[in-house]
Amino acid sequence: MAFGPITLTLALPLLGALVLAFVADDPRVVRIVGLVASVATFVASLIIFVDFDVSNPALQLEERMSWVPAIGADFALAVDGVSLALILLTTFLVPLILLASFDSVTTSLKGYVAAFLALETAVIGVFAATDLLLFAVFFEFTLVPMYFIIGIWGGANRRYAAVKFFLYTTLGGLLMLVAILYLFSQTGSFDYEAIRALELGTTEQHWLFAAFLLAFAIKVPIFPVHTWLPDAHTEAPTGGSVFLAAVLLKMGTFGLLRYALPLFPDATVAWAPWLLGIAVIGILYGSLVALMQSDIKRLIAYSSVAHMGFVVLGTFALNATATTASVVQMINHGLSTGALFLLIGFLYERRHTRQIAAFGGLAKRVPVMAGLWLLVSMSSLALPGLNGFVGEFPILLGTFQTAPWAGVLAAFGAVLAALYLLWAYQRMFHGPLVGADNEHTTDLKLREIGVLAPIVVLIVAIGLYPKPLFDLVEPSVERVLTEVGVDAPAAEPAAAQTDQ
Amino acid sequence: MFLAQSSVDVTSIAWSSFAPELVVVCAALVLLLLAVAGRYRLAVAAACGLPAIGAGVWLVASGHVLPGAVAVTLGAAAPALVVAFPGRPSLTQSWGSGLTLFAALLLTFWQYAEVLAPTGGLIAPTEALQGAIANDGIGFFTRITVYLSALLVVPIGYGYLRDRQIGRAEVEPLLLLSVAGMAFLGVANDLITLFISLEVLSMALYILTGLARRDRRSQESSLKYFVTGSVASAILLYGMALLYTATGALDLAGIGSGLGLVTSPPVVGVLGLGLVTVGIGFKVALAPFHLWTPDVYQGAPTNVTAFMAAAVKAAGFAALLRLYLVAFPTLSSLWVPALSVMAAISMLYGAWVAIVQRDIKRMLAYSSITHAGYATIGVVSNSDAGLSSTLWYLLTYAVATLGAFGCVVAIERVRQGEVSLVDLRGMGRTSPMLAGIFTLCLLSLAGVPATAGFIGKLTIFQAGVAAGHTWLVVIGVVSSVIAAFFYLRIAGTMFLDEADETRGLPLVTTGLSAGVSVAATLVLFLGIQPQLLLQLAENAAAVVR
Repeated sequence: MAFGPITLTLALPLLGALVLAFVADDPRVVRIVGLVASVATFVASLIIFVDFDVSNPALQLEERMSWVPAIGADFALAVDGVSLALILLTTFLVPLILLASFDSVTTSLKGYVAAFLALETAVIGVFAATDLLLFAVFFEFTLVPMYFIIGIWGGANRRYAAVKFFLYTTLGGLLMLVAILYLFSQTGSFDYEAIRALELGTTEQHWLFAAFLLAFAIKVPIFPVHTWLPDAHTEAPTGGSVFLAAVLLKMGTFGLLRYALPLFPDATVAWAPWLLGIAVIGILYGSLVALMQSDIKRLIAYSSVAHMGFVVLGTFALNATATTASVVQMINHGLSTGALFLLIGFLYERRHTRQIAAFGGLAKRVPVMAGLWLLVSMSSLALPGLNGFVGEFPILLGTFQTAPWAGVLAAFGAVLAALYLLWAYQRMFHGPLVGADNEHTTDLKLREIGVLAPIVVLIVAIGLYPKPLFDLVEPSVERVLTEVGVDAPAAEPAAAQTDQ
Repeated sequence: MFLAQSSVDVTSIAWSSFAPELVVVCAALVLLLLAVAGRYRLAVAAACGLPAIGAGVWLVASGHVLPGAVAVTLGAAAPALVVAFPGRPSLTQSWGSGLTLFAALLLTFWQYAEVLAPTGGLIAPTEALQGAIANDGIGFFTRITVYLSALLVVPIGYGYLRDRQIGRAEVEPLLLLSVAGMAFLGVANDLITLFISLEVLSMALYILTGLARRDRRSQESSLKYFVTGSVASAILLYGMALLYTATGALDLAGIGSGLGLVTSPPVVGVLGLGLVTVGIGFKVALAPFHLWTPDVYQGAPTNVTAFMAAAVKAAGFAALLRLYLVAFPTLSSLWVPALSVMAAISMLYGAWVAIVQRDIKRMLAYSSITHAGYATIGVVSNSDAGLSSTLWYLLTYAVATLGAFGCVVAIERVRQGEVSLVDLRGMGRTSPMLAGIFTLCLLSLAGVPATAGFIGKLTIFQAGVAAGHTWLVVIGVVSSVIAAFFYLRIAGTMFLDEADETRGLPLVTTGLSAGVSVAATLVLFLGIQPQLLLQLAENAAAVVR
């Protein structure tokens, strides 16, 4: 098929951005265009979901057009369970992000909304591309709108953060491009399946894996190349932080799962123990540093390093339980950390500070915000019954099977998460209500609750009944693991049969 | 050899193989005549136009419709433009040269369809004028780049030259002569043609860089370029003499086969290769022969700088490609490593030093050294893919750098002097369109997707990896990241910093905005839908050997 729902989902945000270029710079018009475009994109992504065959592990619904035949690149899009889940997460969050930003963004709302829509197109492209060059193009292009989102609408130190973000990620992206070009020189094609079928020597695999790993590790970010993240998160405007945490970081873990693992299976198996170690270091380091933060946004930024460490841990545990759960955890982290950044943004609009010490006893004045904050924190620290648990627990369970030491150490990270999140909550919302600022903080408005409500509903829904999400991603993950040469566990022969 | 043929049959001359240059040189002479004709302008224009119309009619009658139509149009345009702009000879000049360059571009494509690839697809290379020039892909694609660059420079420079009261009469004829030299350099198939074309283009540029007579920096720029350029020419000439000594041939293919013979003294040939490398390396500003570039680029009038960056580089690389692929294939074990090292140094050094620059023109000058390094990756790939990727890269670099310098022109016109980084503060708010175009061109130079520069880098890297020069490509990546820093700093200064109201808005006039808009459109078009021209670049991977 040449044109279908995936292309539509990809094109709609860009179309919205183009429309914005030609409309008056009137906030009301901009809001309408932004919302219509992003909601239409969400609807289009639901069409993909309806067409999608959940039991089929392969890439589906392929849409292919000739793009640059002179260099052998196609405009080829397709989805599997993992990429569809991430596309749905993206299209679900963008309307909410825009809605949350309409009041807080005062300068050039038009540019802000246009940048977000362009970013949405690029991210959907990253998740849907099955031509490696097209993937690299979208992967690189996400930097441009995000650079401007951080740089123009960000905090005081925004320039430094924006440039750091750009340079870190472009280095990884370009080295990955070189690796992609090498793969092209071996196969004469940028097509994912053609490159997947390629048999590579061990040395080649190690080098190429290293290039892909660097690109994705910077994006995730994996310790020790995470240092751009706290700056970018802290300086970005609320919408930028939400999108960064919820979606952009997932490009890294998605890339590992889609490209690094199945394309270079020998290298993956050889590197896996080391990456488990690095993931554990990231979890513990991120948690401990988060514990020490005085700025609540920076705290959550470091908590992202820790949480993404869990995702990397699950990915490289290389068994069906942990790796599937790591994909589920990508979605969970997107929802709960996204919600936390939204709450921080709402609080910042009221108080213009993010210092934890400046707050205290707020629960008496803002009960709704406090309640939601607590709920989302609980989700983030993996309380059973909420979404974080259904992701984090199987990751630990699966890791215990393959690398017990890593599981034990990572479990400390889960404890630390409870510590830094609840301690921060306690300092901000409990205790005596001191100071006029705290006294006069107002509770969430209806619109703000409306932005958070869909996310909270999903947090609870996934926590109580995660099966649909697992069913969506499991076959695709198992296909990856089969490629890596890790046998699907004996406990799930039924799933293996339905694949045929 | 030439003297032996005492009489030349006019009909046997392959006019079509240098038709675009013929038009450009004739137009240069006409414009020069018009500039000195005083009140006899109309008469001179008519006298020049009539024969052109006559020739055009004859051409159409004998079946060559497009060249005939071009000749008729240009012939009629000469008096028409004089009449149309009675008190403003400079407008006549600009429109005249613009039309001429557009005609040259048209003829280039006509040539492709009629002469180079009559059956479509790959170019079938042939020789013309007793082997002096080559009808092949290098010439074809270089013509596109240099004519397009010159065509964009004319409107970009118009208002700027008027503001700075830079002498008008000589600008366009010199520009046309120089661009004709570049086109001939692209097709030069023997050492004599190569050297003469190089000198034609250089002589014109020596004068153009010094056009601002009252500006000491422009004078310095001109003198520096002249002195160092002459030394480079002398070295090049000496190298050519050595090559002739070694092989007894002046045509490149003959030199190639001569150097391939074991009987020829290799030392002399290798010395010749080295000296020629120095000479051409100077022209394309490849490190370590780049030292003139920052001073000359900074001092020259900005429209001339833009032209030099875009077009001289393309023409120089055309000569470089032809020399190495045709004359020195047997010595590739020598020049591939040597050029690789030069490319690596250029990429890293240019990007590194550009970071500490405050003057935008100087920064772009160092960036041009970096880009010469990238283009060299295609040369050292020593393959068809390398050849077409270099040609393509130079086109993508040309459109982006022209757009960028065009924006500098707009800012310079109100600053009345050097444009440094602080002059750009807050331009994203005060003049969003111009800042947007500038940013787009800078992102293209940085190689960000959806711009021409990305596809350029991609094809270059592709050729480099395929040829096994992965280490060089990785250096290219590192240099791209360093370069992204200073390109982003310019973009950031425009969009991220607060505006400084005292500095005045950039002055964008019709011609300038037309020029930079076309450049920006091309940057986007070549970045998003590159297939059309990229396919031509692939077809151009055919050389007279």
